[in-house]
Amino acid sequence: MEFGETLRLSGRAIRAHKLRSALTVLGILIGIAAVVTFVTFGASLQADVVGQISETSANNVYLVAAEDDEGFAGAGRPVFTEEDVSTFAGVEGVERVVPRGILSVSAISYGDDTVARTQATATTPAAFASTTFVAGEPFELGRDEVVLNRLAAQSFESNATVGDTVTLTLGGGRTRNLTVAGVVDGSAGELPFEAFGSQTRVYVPTDPLYNTVVESPSAGVPQRVYPQVTVVADPAETGAVRDRVEGTFPDTDAAQLVPDGFELVAQTSGDFADQVEEIVSQLTRFVTGIAVIALVVGAVGIANIMLVSVTERTREIGIMKAVGARNREVMGLFLTEAVLLGVIGAALGVPVGVLGGWAATQYAEISLTLAPGWFAIAVVVGVVVGAVAGLYPAWRAARVDPIEALRYE
Amino acid sequence: MVSVSRLRRHPRQTTTFRQSPPTTHSRRTIHARPAVNPGIVTDGAQIAGETGDGVVALTDVEKRYQRTADITVEALRGVSLSLPEGSYTAVMGPSGSGKSTLLNLVGGLDTPTAGSVAIAGTELSGLSEPERARVRGEEIGFIFQTFNLMPRLTAAENVAFPLVFRGVDRTERMERARELLADVGLADRTDHRPNELSGGQRQRVAIARALAGDPALVLADEPTGNVDTETGDRVMSVLDGVNDAGNTILLVTHERRIAEHADRIVHLRDGRIQEIETVDGVNDTGDTDDTDDTGAV
Repeated sequence: MEFGETLRLSGRAIRAHKLRSALTVLGILIGIAAVVTFVTFGASLQADVVGQISETSANNVYLVAAEDDEGFAGAGRPVFTEEDVSTFAGVEGVERVVPRGILSVSAISYGDDTVARTQATATTPAAFASTTFVAGEPFELGRDEVVLNRLAAQSFESNATVGDTVTLTLGGGRTRNLTVAGVVDGSAGELPFEAFGSQTRVYVPTDPLYNTVVESPSAGVPQRVYPQVTVVADPAETGAVRDRVEGTFPDTDAAQLVPDGFELVAQTSGDFADQVEEIVSQLTRFVTGIAVIALVVGAVGIANIMLVSVTERTREIGIMKAVGARNREVMGLFLTEAVLLGVIGAALGVPVGVLGGWAATQYAEISLTLAPGWFAIAVVVGVVVGAVAGLYPAWRAARVDPIEALRYE
Repeated sequence: MVSVSRLRRHPRQTTTFRQSPPTTHSRRTIHARPAVNPGIVTDGAQIAGETGDGVVALTDVEKRYQRTADITVEALRGVSLSLPEGSYTAVMGPSGSGKSTLLNLVGGLDTPTAGSVAIAGTELSGLSEPERARVRGEEIGFIFQTFNLMPRLTAAENVAFPLVFRGVDRTERMERARELLADVGLADRTDHRPNELSGGQRQRVAIARALAGDPALVLADEPTGNVDTETGDRVMSVLDGVNDAGNTILLVTHERRIAEHADRIVHLRDGRIQEIETVDGVNDTGDTDDTDDTGAV
């Protein structure tokens, strides 16, 4: 029996019960659409997040003291001394080293307006090497200057501009007047995960404002100590620079200052991207797994309807056998019908799923990234689901006794 | 002689019969068949002697059904029968006599408990299921009391249906189907679904379907059981034409009137052949006297 004829007969059987077939297809459609929606959304989310990270600074190596487990958990212990900063700067392939400290503040005022704040970032002018200035320029070390990002500058009743004086209220109630040296765009120079979303940023020079000091074990004198250091590497060898910087860790002050249970970590943007990618894809897999349940329900629908169909068409099966159909041809016919239902469901489910994914990305305000590999997988899954669901009914059909079947009313 | 010459069976060819349009069928009735002479009764020995080279040869066929652990039904208890090529045989008997069992065995739908069933020289009892399906498709044409047409296929597609399983391509199949439908007087009904046809028309579609594969044997199970007498006569006259064309027919019926269309009548009772009666006066002269002005249908 040629395949074309099998298809024709199966198609006709499906069309004979339009509503029933449509509902069965709907079951598969929902399952496939759910899977495609979540996969599409996952892919979009991943592309968006990873894109943001790599955009910021692909050649940055971030150094922190983190808890042993993994990543940057617990980051924030000040361990890197001035001594260490010069050590890292001397490593081959390092373009510049940007130390970052957290300055605890309670408020910032401009004119009559005071805005509450918890912290300011203490850093060096090198932090702004690749940053776009809306106005002004980086502060200079040793001066009472400040760099605001645009959001921070606009957070006052009247916008603060270059040359204006803002007042920083430090911990303990001391105040300090600073001149605005520049206004930058975005929230530049932060850790990759801090780059998300738009926040107000206030940058101050480490000298004279940052006063977290410790006695450097190697130099034997008190030095500023930073919780985080960004090493900007030659873009051509970011990975190699990370490894080299890691190699200097045992000889640094940080290695001695680091508390028990913590260790020094050097990670590139790529490492971050990989971690985030891993987390997002795990999440996607989990949610997709839930969607697969819908698909299983759809498969049960096919199996159910095919069993009904076999019972209804017992006499037809008898006729087929009487006119020379072999068991496997009868089986093939019913299996084709089930697979056809699955494939139709999958074919319709993919566009519906993409639509769902698009809606989800719109809602989450991220750009749509399609995962075309999954479309092919969806169709294959449709075939497999149809085949698996149709197997038992088709086997039942093949086993119909023609003598009984032909008597069947 | 017109009908006989035109309806000749050409084994394994797809262009078998051609005949005149079915315009005057009403004049052809069962009276075309001469009266029956129920005189000849054969005994077992004679029956056994008859088996051999026929299109169908049954030898000492027994069929038992195990109803429960204790109860075994003996449907056939040693039946031997041979159907020569081109013969027309009717099987009669009360219900429970084994008629249906015999039909199922000859049709390759069932296998005997003991004995041998051979169709066109092929022994059925040793065959696997797919092989038996092939024999059914190629050597047997079934005609059922309840027509058993595929409900979603048109008349032509129904007729062509057996050829689907023989790998005949669609164009050729449909052409053959239309020819056969024309032969049974349904040239204008080829694209109708079974539910758009009358009982008699459906049965004629079924007859055309039975002939589609150019089978060695046409098996008719109460072909007039679901139609009124007049339509039944029409159906039987089509069958007569099929036989006249050289096809071997085995007809199961409980109506003597219908059985008398055959050359001989096999009487079954309690799973045994009770008597084989030759219907007298079967000859071409008798046929042509009444049919010279018409086709077989």
